[in-house]
Amino acid sequence: MEKPEKIKVLYIDDEQNNLNGFKATFRFDYTIYTAQNTEKAYEMLKAHNDIRVILCDQRMPDKTGAQFFEEIHGEYPDPVRMLITGYTDVESVIDAINKGHIFRYIKKPWTDIDIKSAIEEGNKFYTSNSLLVIKNKELQSAYDELGKFAYSITHDMRGPLLSIVGALDLAKGMESLTEIREILYMMDDAVKKLDEFIKNTHEYYNLKRGKLTFENIDFNNVVKDVEALFRITGRMDKVRFTANVVQNEIFLSDEISIKIILSNLFSNAFKYQRRNADDKFVDVNIEVNNNKAVIFVKDNGIGIHESHINNIFRMFYRATSEESGSGFGLYNVNDALTKLNGTIEVTSVVNEGTVFKVTIPGKTNDDK
Amino acid sequence: MTINKKLHFIVIDDSKLDCFIAEKIIKNTGKSESIRSFLQAQEAIDYIASAPPADDDSHTIILVDIQMPIMNGFEFVEAFENLPRKATANYTIYVISSSINENDIYKLRNYPSVRQFLNKPLTSNNLAILLG
Repeated sequence: MEKPEKIKVLYIDDEQNNLNGFKATFRFDYTIYTAQNTEKAYEMLKAHNDIRVILCDQRMPDKTGAQFFEEIHGEYPDPVRMLITGYTDVESVIDAINKGHIFRYIKKPWTDIDIKSAIEEGNKFYTSNSLLVIKNKELQSAYDELGKFAYSITHDMRGPLLSIVGALDLAKGMESLTEIREILYMMDDAVKKLDEFIKNTHEYYNLKRGKLTFENIDFNNVVKDVEALFRITGRMDKVRFTANVVQNEIFLSDEISIKIILSNLFSNAFKYQRRNADDKFVDVNIEVNNNKAVIFVKDNGIGIHESHINNIFRMFYRATSEESGSGFGLYNVNDALTKLNGTIEVTSVVNEGTVFKVTIPGKTNDDK
Repeated sequence: MTINKKLHFIVIDDSKLDCFIAEKIIKNTGKSESIRSFLQAQEAIDYIASAPPADDDSHTIILVDIQMPIMNGFEFVEAFENLPRKATANYTIYVISSSINENDIYKLRNYPSVRQFLNKPLTSNNLAILLG
C-alpha cells in the first residue's frame, strides 16, 4: 500500500544553522523546504503551490516574520502560518494573531514535540478548511440546480394542470358530445405529460440520491423488461423493434441505472419518429466484451438538427416542439452514465434518423 | 380597443391543448375575423414578416406563451420588435403563461410591445375583459 503523501512544510530563518538542524530533524516525517530570507521564501511558495504549513522566524534582517505573513496573506491564503520567536515580542505576536495572519506561535528554543504537534494541528486545520471549500462548491452547485429545478417545475407541472383547468372550463359550456370527446382526448394527453414529468423526476432523484448496487446484468432480460414497458403503453405500435444482444460473460453494473439509460433512449427512439413514414424502426444492438458493454440504439426518425446536438444532454433542454417531452430524459441518461463511468455519443441526420452509442465499463474488483 | 375594427388573433403555444382552448374561447366571443395558431414561435415570426401590410381598420392580437422549446416567448418578442415597423404596426401582444416567477413577469416590462401579462388558463372572462 502506498503511504499517504508527506505534509509539505516551508521553514524560513536567517540563520543557516537553524535551517540545517530543522531539516535534519524532520525530513523523515515531512517534505521540508527552507529559505534564508523572505525573497527565497516567495520563490519556494511560487514553485510549490501545495505547501501546507509555513514556519517563520520573527527576527530577520529584512523584515519580521509577522510582516512577512501579513504580506503573503493575500496571495497565498491557504497555507497555515506559524511564527517562531526567541524574544518575547509579545506586542507584535499579539498583533499578528489578532489580524488573523498566524495560526500558532512557537517559542524558541523549540522541542521536536512542539514543532510536530504544531505541524499536525496545522495540517488538520488546512485539510478541514480545504474540505470546506470543496463542500461549499458542491453545495453551491446543488443549490443552483435546485433553483433551475424549481423554476422549471412550475412550468412543467403547472402547465399541463392549467391546460386541464382551461379545458374543463371550456367543456362546461359545450353541448356537442363530439366536441366534448375531442377535448377529453386532449386532456388525456396533458395528464400523460404530467405523469411522465413526475416519473422522470423520480428517476432523477433515484440517480442523485441513490447508491449504486452492483450485480450481474443480463442484458437480454433488461431489454425484455424495458421493451415490455413500452409494449403495454402501445407506443411501439407501427414501429418495427429489433434487439440483438451478444453477451457471453458476467457484467457487473447497477441495474437501475442501466434501465434508466435504456428506457430513455428507447422512449426517444419511439417518440421522435416521422409521423407519416411507413417503415419506422428502432434497432438495438448490445455487445458485452472484455468487461465493456457497447450499446447502439438506432432509429429512422426525425433526427436532431446539428445546432441542437450539443445541448441535448442539458437539463430541461428541448430540441423540438413536436411530441411531449420534459427535457429530462437525456439529462438523466447522462447523469447515470457519469456514475457508471460510461460515455455516450450521438450521430444524427435530420429526417433520416439518430444513432446513440453508449459505452459502459463493467465494475471490476479494483474499483472502489 | 375600437369596437369597429376587425380583430384577428394569433395564438403561439407549444401545447396543442392550450392552442385549442384559446381558439375555442376566441371563437366564442364572436368578435374574431380570423384565428391562427402556431406551435413554434419562429413560424409566427415568419408569418408576421411576410404578411401583407394590414389596412387601418383591422387589428391583430397576439397571445404568446413564455416557456417554449427552441424559441421562447421572450425571444419571440425580441424578434418581433426587430421586424420592420411597417410589419408590426396594428399588433398588440399579450403574454400568457403558467409562470409564477416574478422575474419573468418583471422582465416583460422591458418590452414596449407587450401590452399585458395574463395568467393561464385563458378563460372567456379574462378574454372579455381584455377585449373591453
